[in-house]
Amino acid sequence: MTTEVTGAGSARSPHPGPSGQAPDQRSRGGRRGGAEQVRRTRELSTGFIVSRIAVLGIVAALLIYALPPLIQTEAWTALGAVGVVTALVAYLYLTPRHIPAKYLVPGTIFLIAFAIVPIVLTFVTAFTNFGDGHRGTKEEAIRAIETSSVTQVPGSPEYYLTIAERDGEMVFLLVDPATKAVQAGTAEGLTPVDGAEVSLTGKVLTAAGYTIVPTAQAAERDAEIAAFSVPTTGGAVKATGLSRAFEGKADKSYDAACDCVTSPSGGRWVADEVEGYFVNAEGQHLDQGWKVDVGFANFTKALTDPTISGHFLNVLIWNFVFALSAVATTFALGMIVALALHSPRVRGTKLYRIMLILPYAMPGFAMLLIWRDMFNTDFGLISKLFGVHDWLGTPTTARLGLIVINLWMGFPYMFLVITGALQAVPRELTDAARIDGASAWAGFRRVTLPLVLVALTPLLISSFGFNFNNFNNIKLVTNGGPYAIDNSTVGATDLLISYTYRVAGFDSGVADFGFAAAISVFIFAIVATVSTVAFWRSRAQEEVYS
Amino acid sequence: MKWLREVGWRYAVVLVVCAFALFPVLFVVSAAINPLGTLGSTGLIPEGASLKNFVDLLTGDHPFTRWFLNSVVIALISAFAGLLISVAAAYAFSRMRFRGRRVGLLSILLIQMFPQFLAIVAIFIVFTEVTELYPTFGFNKPWGLLVLYLGGALGVNTYLMKGYLDTVPKEIDESATMDGASHVQTFFRIILPLVGPVLAVTAMLSFIGTINEFLIANVFLRDTEAKTLAVGMYGMLTDKRDANFGMFAAATLLTAVPTVSLFLWLQKYIVSGLTAGAVKG
Amino acid sequence: MRIRTAGVIAAAGLLMLGVAACGGTNEPAATPSKDKGNGKLVLWTDPTRAPVLKPFAEAFGKENGVTVEVKEISENQQQTFITASQQGSGPDIMVGAHDWIGNMVQNGAIDPVQLTAEQKAAFHPNAIKAVTFNGQIYGAPYAMENVALIRNTDLVPTAPATIEDLIKTGKDLKAAKKVQEILCVPFGAAGDVYHTYPLFSAAGGSLFGTTASGDPDPSKVTVNTPESIAALEKMKALGEKGEGAIKTSIGNENGIPSFVQKKCAFLISGPWSMNDVKKAGFGYDISAVPGFAAGGQAKPFLGVQAFYVAAKGKSKVLAQEFVANYVTNKDVAMALYNADPRPAALTAAADAVKALDPNAEKFVQAGANGIPMPAIPAMGAIWGPMANAEVAVVKGGDAKTAAEAAAKAITAEINK
Repeated sequence: MTTEVTGAGSARSPHPGPSGQAPDQRSRGGRRGGAEQVRRTRELSTGFIVSRIAVLGIVAALLIYALPPLIQTEAWTALGAVGVVTALVAYLYLTPRHIPAKYLVPGTIFLIAFAIVPIVLTFVTAFTNFGDGHRGTKEEAIRAIETSSVTQVPGSPEYYLTIAERDGEMVFLLVDPATKAVQAGTAEGLTPVDGAEVSLTGKVLTAAGYTIVPTAQAAERDAEIAAFSVPTTGGAVKATGLSRAFEGKADKSYDAACDCVTSPSGGRWVADEVEGYFVNAEGQHLDQGWKVDVGFANFTKALTDPTISGHFLNVLIWNFVFALSAVATTFALGMIVALALHSPRVRGTKLYRIMLILPYAMPGFAMLLIWRDMFNTDFGLISKLFGVHDWLGTPTTARLGLIVINLWMGFPYMFLVITGALQAVPRELTDAARIDGASAWAGFRRVTLPLVLVALTPLLISSFGFNFNNFNNIKLVTNGGPYAIDNSTVGATDLLISYTYRVAGFDSGVADFGFAAAISVFIFAIVATVSTVAFWRSRAQEEVYS
Repeated sequence: MKWLREVGWRYAVVLVVCAFALFPVLFVVSAAINPLGTLGSTGLIPEGASLKNFVDLLTGDHPFTRWFLNSVVIALISAFAGLLISVAAAYAFSRMRFRGRRVGLLSILLIQMFPQFLAIVAIFIVFTEVTELYPTFGFNKPWGLLVLYLGGALGVNTYLMKGYLDTVPKEIDESATMDGASHVQTFFRIILPLVGPVLAVTAMLSFIGTINEFLIANVFLRDTEAKTLAVGMYGMLTDKRDANFGMFAAATLLTAVPTVSLFLWLQKYIVSGLTAGAVKG
Repeated sequence: MRIRTAGVIAAAGLLMLGVAACGGTNEPAATPSKDKGNGKLVLWTDPTRAPVLKPFAEAFGKENGVTVEVKEISENQQQTFITASQQGSGPDIMVGAHDWIGNMVQNGAIDPVQLTAEQKAAFHPNAIKAVTFNGQIYGAPYAMENVALIRNTDLVPTAPATIEDLIKTGKDLKAAKKVQEILCVPFGAAGDVYHTYPLFSAAGGSLFGTTASGDPDPSKVTVNTPESIAALEKMKALGEKGEGAIKTSIGNENGIPSFVQKKCAFLISGPWSMNDVKKAGFGYDISAVPGFAAGGQAKPFLGVQAFYVAAKGKSKVLAQEFVANYVTNKDVAMALYNADPRPAALTAAADAVKALDPNAEKFVQAGANGIPMPAIPAMGAIWGPMANAEVAVVKGGDAKTAAEAAAKAITAEINK
């Protein structure tokens, strides 16, 4: 490998560059002394001044846009952070130093905000029980428990409600549907109202001493109405919408003294800060829980739980087989067609290229569903062509099928990038190899392939990483199946990612994000290790160009 | 014989691979022109041909043309912005030597490999606040989605361009610097024009990646009018038991149109080196 | 050295986002008086229902002088709703299936709805039962659906009385080359517990035991009881190695089309198939899925679509008004039915449309023995493993092995 690469490197010098301007440019490179002079005067050139003014202008514009909402909502910390970041960016682009950072910062900012933040979040979540049933704080759980335990006081009237005001204070005017008696509800309690005019639908039209609030205005005061409650002997009257009210009572309430939830009917659930649930003496918990820190529990569970570790090796092996064959097959096919079209003597290349990128241009999820259909045992196209077989229901053919589907979806990508990379391989080189008597194959192997590989190794590594976690293909085509009859947990085509998705409960709609996060960290460790090794091995190749 | 060895095999390979590439597409075509609008029973040869599904699609309840426009605009802008960000970073990685360069390179490769189980939770955490403060970049707005897509701009595409930049002789920009060009001038006037093919390839890749993106756009765009094709089309399948596969297949075909058009336009740049070589050869 | 600068900016950027995010989640709790959502009602639904609901939502808005926005979520509605709610960017009203209730409640995402006795009585009892969870009503139901047996009356004039009859008729037709398949029941390569549940339940199978109050009990998984194993045996007899009535090659994507194209004379499906069946151009009728000659009745799952009040919405009173007092109105229910003909949950509306659309009534009749799909979160653990077990037996695998494997996976998931 090394010799080939060195050969490629030294062979690069005659390369004229894609536009063929190089020799001209290089001849000017000799006037070194003159250049020094020019560089000094550049500091004060108009371009320099204009660009600095532009930087300041953009910074000012951004601040004018970003600051007012922050000041309005009194988000001082965020304001400070924005200030610091803007100052740093302004400094960076005003100073002539730190040139690489000038080119890297725009991408880095977006990368941090939308790629690194989720990763950090995942890491943090891995140490919690965050998931369905444990999404919010303890206070939120208590509020939900109390709210959902409110029931109508038995025998109490189901009031019609009219929102009114008295002396600027909100009042509920309540009409008993049975007796048509009108009462006024305030924070103090209920008082009868005489002489009120009530419509057929139970709305109070007029009442002496009260101003009726029109519906539209009442709607504007949503939160006020929602928070309003009229104490009664049996509980409290609360609004059910804008037109009705009921007398309700919470069956469960939180008692800070015992840190527990109690119910008059005898239940008692004590807060368990380890599980994030209120648990009673029988060990049953209330539905609503809260988020707690669980330390390394998610990690140890992933390592020790037999339902996971018991299948881990098998899944991992197939995962590697899938990812590696995905990269190998798409690269090989992409290379073959790219080479085939890499000749001025082939007619109609434009048309062929379009046909070849079609699989990549079609929406992936739609095509996956269509492929799944084509593999249908009795009615699918594949069965029509190759005979009836339970394609996706037999482990071997299901796996092969997935690789074929992946090849179909993935080779146009490789074809595109290889076509691009081939443009950088000087034709003179391949021609020279041919003149030297090397066969076409040898020329490809010694010259073209190494050159293309140098440019594309990182892409191949990235493709490996992508396919290692190629969730969509598995999910939409086989959903991990077929399953062995005695094992309903892991299927023959499950990748670690689809397996995690199921084990963490995403399939069943009750997701355990904390656990999923912990396994993500493990999966990432595996992919990252493999990729890093491959990356450092490719270092030798890259340094040739440095 | 010589023709067979030098050119003939090329046609053979290309035709076989084209057949492989096209037959699922033909399947979609036949479903799209099948008036019964079913997928399960459709073979390569359609049972009856009509443009009914296309007509239904363009005139039906779904604002298909609007989705189409949204998709194209978002994909074009994000491809362009992503390209600028990415090529700038690639330039720094290729031409400059600084501390942390290799770690930086490795990081942008690895970051994109992290399993994104919590991506949606993260999006809500970040954008709930952004929507409150800066509605223009919030939920339901194409600008917010664009900004979000730029998070992936520093990724494997940066490598693709760095790899290509590495093949452009360093002497070219060195001599430009000697002539008094600033690094900005060198970048825009000398380097960018030289890397046309890879810019075209990268633009193509990020355009395709964006126009078919579904997961993020699904939580981001909730107004019928704001949706992209991928989200809108998936919505046509939500009530999967009631789905009209014929219209869905027609939509699938139409989705490929912008991508293919862009490719038609960019193709000459992608293979510019090839034709240049041909003229000289 | 230079990359350090970038690092500092990066860290600052991260800090900024983090701080902004935290500020956001705490803020609404700290200042409840700052009522941002007032006078505006936001409703989330799926794209199929969005156009149907829009006019009603707008009419409600006009009546109450508020703006109403109907937003559609294409996929993953339940999880998107719960996640968005938790972060404070969810809707005021959510529309969805009743079996989401358990999970939405345990996440504190929805509030109970207080219906009056009169309002409750106006609904089909099964609809109220479906939206009741832990003794509370959590939503206003508006449509019900369940599967039934749909047959091609040109080929089969009378409805089969038992599954054995159905199989025999199907086989005779197949032998006479009039159809290709005995029965079209969507099953697919991944299995389909929902569509086959009438058969499984008719054969005596069950998923959960019941609590004292009659609700499904997640601590008693019954998929591997002798009765359920016997039921799986019967499904095996109907499967690919037996009669060939249940096949993995017939799924959601081709079940209804196959029936429409006369490839089978019987179809197990719900009201959503009617659009296609009506266009098929042959006579059809709808009846309950029959039971086995020796055995119990078929009990299809009942699904109910309902409106929910989001617990963390910004206009909760308006949402309550919409859910408790507006969509429970007969005229609104009728109009909803006209826009989206699924059997109405409101009895008065159902009666009114009976004359207009006999099919709707037939589906309701077919669901008379049905059981509301369990809304407990543990139900989520059933689907995957149970489908795997059914696929295994349909392909001729041993029922006991399959049932034990399913029970093991389900219990592991519930106790997760």
